[in-house]
Amino acid sequence: MVKIDKNLMGKEYLEMAFERCIKCSTCKYGYKTFEPSCPSGEKFLFESFWASGKIRTIRGVLNGDLEWSDDLKDAIFACPTCGACMDACQAPHADYIVDMIEALRELAVKYIGPAQNQEKLIERAIKKFNPYDELNSDNEELKKKYNLPDKAEWVYYIGCTSNYRQQSLRDATLNFLKRANIDFTLIDEHCCTSPMIRTGQISISKEFMNYNVEKIKEASAVKVITSCAGCYRTLKNDFEKFGIVYDFKLYHTVELLKELIEKGKLKFKSNYNKTVTYHDPCHLGRHSGIYEIPRDVYKQIPGINFVEIRRNRNHTWCCGAGGGVKIGYPDWSIEISQERLEEAKETGASIVSSTCPFCRTNLSDANEKFNMGFEILDLIEIIDQLEYDVEI
Amino acid sequence: MIITKETNIFEKVSKEEVHKKLVEIFGKENVSNRSVDLYPYSYDMTECPPSMPDFVVIPENKEQLVELVKFCNQNVIPIVPYISGNNVGGLTIPERGGIIVDFGKKMNKILHINENMMYALLEPGVTFGQLKKHLDDNYPQLRYSYPFAPPYASVVGNAILSGMNNLSCKIGSMGDSINGLEVITVDGEIARIGSCFYGKDEADPDSWWCRYPMPDLMGLFINWQGMTGLITKCAVQLWPKKPIQKIEALAIFDLEDIGELCREMGRTEVVDDIAFGSTELIKMCCEIPEPKIFPEESRMMATSVITAHTENEYKAKKEIYLNTIEKFREEGMRIYPMDFGEFVELFNLRLRCYADLPSMVLSLVEYSGLTWFGSYAPSHKIEELAKKVDEIFKKYNVPLFLNMKPMKYSHYCIFRPIIRFNKFKDEERIHKLLNEIVDTCVDFGCIPYKTPAWMTEKMREKINPGWLKLFEKIKKCMDPNGIFNPGRWNT
Repeated sequence: MVKIDKNLMGKEYLEMAFERCIKCSTCKYGYKTFEPSCPSGEKFLFESFWASGKIRTIRGVLNGDLEWSDDLKDAIFACPTCGACMDACQAPHADYIVDMIEALRELAVKYIGPAQNQEKLIERAIKKFNPYDELNSDNEELKKKYNLPDKAEWVYYIGCTSNYRQQSLRDATLNFLKRANIDFTLIDEHCCTSPMIRTGQISISKEFMNYNVEKIKEASAVKVITSCAGCYRTLKNDFEKFGIVYDFKLYHTVELLKELIEKGKLKFKSNYNKTVTYHDPCHLGRHSGIYEIPRDVYKQIPGINFVEIRRNRNHTWCCGAGGGVKIGYPDWSIEISQERLEEAKETGASIVSSTCPFCRTNLSDANEKFNMGFEILDLIEIIDQLEYDVEI
Repeated sequence: MIITKETNIFEKVSKEEVHKKLVEIFGKENVSNRSVDLYPYSYDMTECPPSMPDFVVIPENKEQLVELVKFCNQNVIPIVPYISGNNVGGLTIPERGGIIVDFGKKMNKILHINENMMYALLEPGVTFGQLKKHLDDNYPQLRYSYPFAPPYASVVGNAILSGMNNLSCKIGSMGDSINGLEVITVDGEIARIGSCFYGKDEADPDSWWCRYPMPDLMGLFINWQGMTGLITKCAVQLWPKKPIQKIEALAIFDLEDIGELCREMGRTEVVDDIAFGSTELIKMCCEIPEPKIFPEESRMMATSVITAHTENEYKAKKEIYLNTIEKFREEGMRIYPMDFGEFVELFNLRLRCYADLPSMVLSLVEYSGLTWFGSYAPSHKIEELAKKVDEIFKKYNVPLFLNMKPMKYSHYCIFRPIIRFNKFKDEERIHKLLNEIVDTCVDFGCIPYKTPAWMTEKMREKINPGWLKLFEKIKKCMDPNGIFNPGRWNT
């Protein structure tokens, strides 16, 4: 048995690669739907690009059959880690396939570095605490604008994509929380480090995670809400892996919306007479198991004609933004979204909605580049257009 | 470290020139010589030794393949066909290096379904799942016969290697269900075999309806493991999908009874398929970890599929089935019919998937390796075979995963001991166990299918010299330079 560096975060997942996977190909297609589901495999085709091939690459680099070189980069990094393989695979290691891929990336970063441009994610984060190279916002201006206290029951963790790229989504969330009279505040955030974890660049993750938890504590918050599926998944799943323990309760915006509707505290007063379809973000769906909650919310909006895309829920075709693909393979990333929007066309919807700012970004980019003619909106932005009564 | 057996390839032409030619034929994005891309093709789930290819190509059409075959024959470069690599026999491991032709990615189209004559014309890359979905969505009155294999194994691969299916008791081997083939021979000629053989140009898609009565050239390709040419199209028979399909279960307490029971149940002609599984195998299917058998437990379970057009037909078939069981019980056989639905509810609801093939046997994929001795067996000896194999499994302290079924109403049998294992910890021990099984079963006259080279080597010692000479002559004639999947059957 090969020896694996015990200091690697993903050591146990690398070991798993030797004990599991017979390459049965079940990971390649939606289970029992027999539909294509893996963007990486479908694009690059060679076995090395499918999940079982990546597991073989782990074996190869660790047992010395494969030598580290730049030739390995695409097979390791050209994958949005959407988790479709995880959902399709029926073997006991299914739930850990993406962990294995991320562990392989951690190893690859050590020997050959990340894919082209992905190094910028961490370089920028080290300098400016966000991967977008934007001047760090301590969110004080927003606090002033929305008249938010320094300490509160809730913290709205905005996330870098909403704060620096999808501000209408951020503002819609702020408007909603304010109108709902929720006692909330903002913190001077560091990136949750999702982009770094997904690309195997984890050197700063623990420090940033600790920082964020400390800031949340300083704000005396016992609940944290985020409108970003990526931040949600990272806080929910990855913090624990890095040994970060927190005692606040974590919400995605859709969870709060659902709770308020169920308790009769959110009542819509106007109609939304449009046909809307929902794109399940991988971070929220396959990685966090939330499929029905957003649907339950959409279906409560008066006048809405809610339609499903053919591949939905756990069978959703990824938007292509995640796993470092957006920065590492920008053209292909948008191609993946194009396929998603073409599928959405079949529904007759005019609005493609999601619950993730990163999906919103990529779907919007594809929508614009290929003149698809959709309006791309987050669920909270749709709600922001409505009249409603809400009170906690 | 994976090492390719030394060969004289690339003596006539440099690797760089080969790469250039492949890019010219298939396009840059469909050719790779990067080690990371080649590596997954170098080994499979079995104990068969790994070996690296030199290139992998993804073909889109037969014209590209004609060019490839001509080039490879001229320069003596091995060609290894690959679809999903699920053959459980190391058949796509490029023992002598060369070029992997990955049919699974682009040559995977369902070309035609003929409803009247009930066949499907397929490219090699079509998977069971794909065909099932296509039929269910578009031809709900038709079905294919699915094996107990991953849904993404190849239909054509299974057929040309005489695989099993869930109509085996009725129709026998999948090899018998091939209506026609389109093949590329070593000189780059395209030949159509079967009723599609009329005409100089492309065949009429409705002409792939029968295999006989012309000289049966299909035998030059079926079970040859890609050693005689490249198959680019294959027509396989479909069957009517009957509205009633029910599964019957039977517990069998004594191993010595299975032979008579297996033969007789096949002869009743009322079941589409009957699979006998050792109790450990059934427990494994129920996802019981590390299954064992305890004293006084039944040794085997048989699941039979009965289909019918009407309730009356089903009742009549069931009556014959139950009468056969009752007759044996009166003779003292310890066998007990069970309600399959109740069994599933009691043990694992996921067992229902196995009644809806193609489906994954989840526990079979639990480790990093899987192997078997999948064989055609003389049905009059299987009780003795089962006992011998049971002893070998006990000796190695490995649970007996044994699967058997009568074929074509019991003309012969399938006998398959199966072994899950950890490739990186237990391979040597499992290989020894399998070796003993092979020796025992071949002595009984069993003939393994999808046979790895190390097994055919053993078989060759026992096969009559006349057969071997004829086999070698045909191989030499079909592939004088030995470019088609060299190493298979120890060629």
